[in-house]
Amino acid sequence: MKPSLITDHPFGEAYAKRLGVSPWGGNLPGPKVEEWRFTPLRSLAKIAFAPATAKVDAIPNNVPLIAGAARLVLVNGTYRKDLSTVDLGKGVEVYQGKVSAKQGSSLVALNAAYAPQSLALHVTGVAKKVIHIISISAAGSEPAVAHPRINVTAENGSSVTLLESHVGLPGQTYFSNPVASIAVGEGATVRRYVSVDEDSEAFHLATSLVNVAAGGIFEGFHLGLGGALVRQEIRVALTGENAKVHLNGAYALGGASHHDFTTVMDHQVPNCASSQVFKGVVDGESHGVYQGRIHVARDAQKTDARQVHKALFLSRGPQIDCKPELEIYADDVQCAHGAATGEIDANHLFYLAARGIDPETARSLLVEGFLADAVNEINTETVRDLFGSAISAWLKKREVRA
Amino acid sequence: MALLEIKNLHASVAGKEILKGITLNLEPGEVHAIMGPNGTGKSTLSNVIAGRDGYEVTKGQVLLDGEDVLAMAADERARAGIFLAFQYPVEIPGVTTSAFLKTALNAKRRAEGKKEIDAMDFLKLVKAKTAVLGMPYDMIKRALNVGFSGGEKKRAEVLQMTMLEPRVAILDETDSGLDIDALKVVSDGVNSLRSPDRAFLVITHYQRLLDYIVPDHVHVLANGRVMATGGKELALELEAEGYAKYLETAA
Repeated sequence: MKPSLITDHPFGEAYAKRLGVSPWGGNLPGPKVEEWRFTPLRSLAKIAFAPATAKVDAIPNNVPLIAGAARLVLVNGTYRKDLSTVDLGKGVEVYQGKVSAKQGSSLVALNAAYAPQSLALHVTGVAKKVIHIISISAAGSEPAVAHPRINVTAENGSSVTLLESHVGLPGQTYFSNPVASIAVGEGATVRRYVSVDEDSEAFHLATSLVNVAAGGIFEGFHLGLGGALVRQEIRVALTGENAKVHLNGAYALGGASHHDFTTVMDHQVPNCASSQVFKGVVDGESHGVYQGRIHVARDAQKTDARQVHKALFLSRGPQIDCKPELEIYADDVQCAHGAATGEIDANHLFYLAARGIDPETARSLLVEGFLADAVNEINTETVRDLFGSAISAWLKKREVRA
Repeated sequence: MALLEIKNLHASVAGKEILKGITLNLEPGEVHAIMGPNGTGKSTLSNVIAGRDGYEVTKGQVLLDGEDVLAMAADERARAGIFLAFQYPVEIPGVTTSAFLKTALNAKRRAEGKKEIDAMDFLKLVKAKTAVLGMPYDMIKRALNVGFSGGEKKRAEVLQMTMLEPRVAILDETDSGLDIDALKVVSDGVNSLRSPDRAFLVITHYQRLLDYIVPDHVHVLANGRVMATGGKELALELEAEGYAKYLETAA
């Protein structure tokens, strides 16, 4: 018997009821839940996903690699030591941990119920190597679901750079529901760069739960390049004074792709700073969503929180929804948000044309430049180059289609 | 046959006629200055030749080496050898000056049937050209024109010109926003490009620029027409007497 996500998960309608979400689609958030208003899951709920069991014996060649990185491979959420680098270098250890549900949404609970084990990283010192986590989804002949779970604990004063690539085997229908929980200790630095480049039939609903302690620094960058339906939800709690968070992202969507960035920046204590730069380009019939909530608690005086989302339409077919939300209960804070959507500036195009650059090349250059503004926020050069190349490749594919 | 022939050119913007019959011939090696009060069509003329959208040519011709320029798209005109140095160069965040220059240079090379320039040769070329213009080489790593001062922007325009080696260069109020030092640097750059097979059309409001870029011919443009043509002394006369008499004649 094939268990389906919709009917056979352990929570069922009772769980949905307790969470106050719609029971349709089992424990999936319904369209009446405000946070999911722009990302309906009807198409996902229609498919009966079986647990993924397909075999993968090598890292697919569409995964971009960087030299010198330690690789940790997950196939359908299961850690594959045989495909991974054994030596991660000093300052970081990997082990398989238990998965506990703890806080979070129904998707996090679903992950907790099904995740085989977590891939746990314990950062004890200054890790020099980039840790590259490659999460591969492989469905086989039937639609399949997998629940990768990543836990990162960075001890006080430690530092680590993580790169995550989420990919799937082409031409398959799968649903990846990854959850990452990241604890940044006092004075610790965690840099985490996530690339979601799923197949055009794929669903990917990722939740990241980040906690930053006093004096800790968290730098996150999320790239979204493909998938039928992708959501990257990042919830960051700044829980110790003088914590700093830079959370940035870029997306490039074509075809019928749907991509949703939902961020929650929760300033719980005074003297913290957070900044967000998200930029996207949309083409075809795609749909881009950015929802960014900044919450500043009553005691969180001297908070400096900034947020920008800008999107560029490459044609008239796509849709963009942008919803900044500022909830500020402290009175001595600096908070700013900006949002803009538009088309490529005709003055820019003419300037490039006046230098002999044909319109198609000019558009590519301008789009790359538009996104580079966000990509340049990445402080790790190898990753910055990698993501820049991934965007260039996306644009080249687009030219071929057009 | 002149290098650039402008024949009885009429052009409108949003149905309003701005150019009312302009005829100019630029021979190879010549520098022509176009002077005139604000709002008389100087910028319209440069935009029409370069092919900016929003201008409708209602009558007349523009020929480059006998080829119909107006039938070409803006990028084709540039590859054919027309270069417009902008009055207000556009700031383009995220696109480095270097990437932009390389793309433009390769577009031209491809059009000429040449191979694309390789990365090392490109850097060497830029290094040499920036040195000639007294520009810091690091400037090419910055986003195109973003945060550049007025002088830096105009120098960047001249750098592009020296890289692309156009047949006809149109300088649209290149002196605006420049102090005297920057003006001198930019003019030196332009003068270094003067050659027997290249022509310049220098559009300016003030005579000052023409002390540095000395023209062969000066034309006074008023109310969409060339009201007078003379040598470089005409510019000095305009500086002393102003444009009033041409405006009165036109009215």
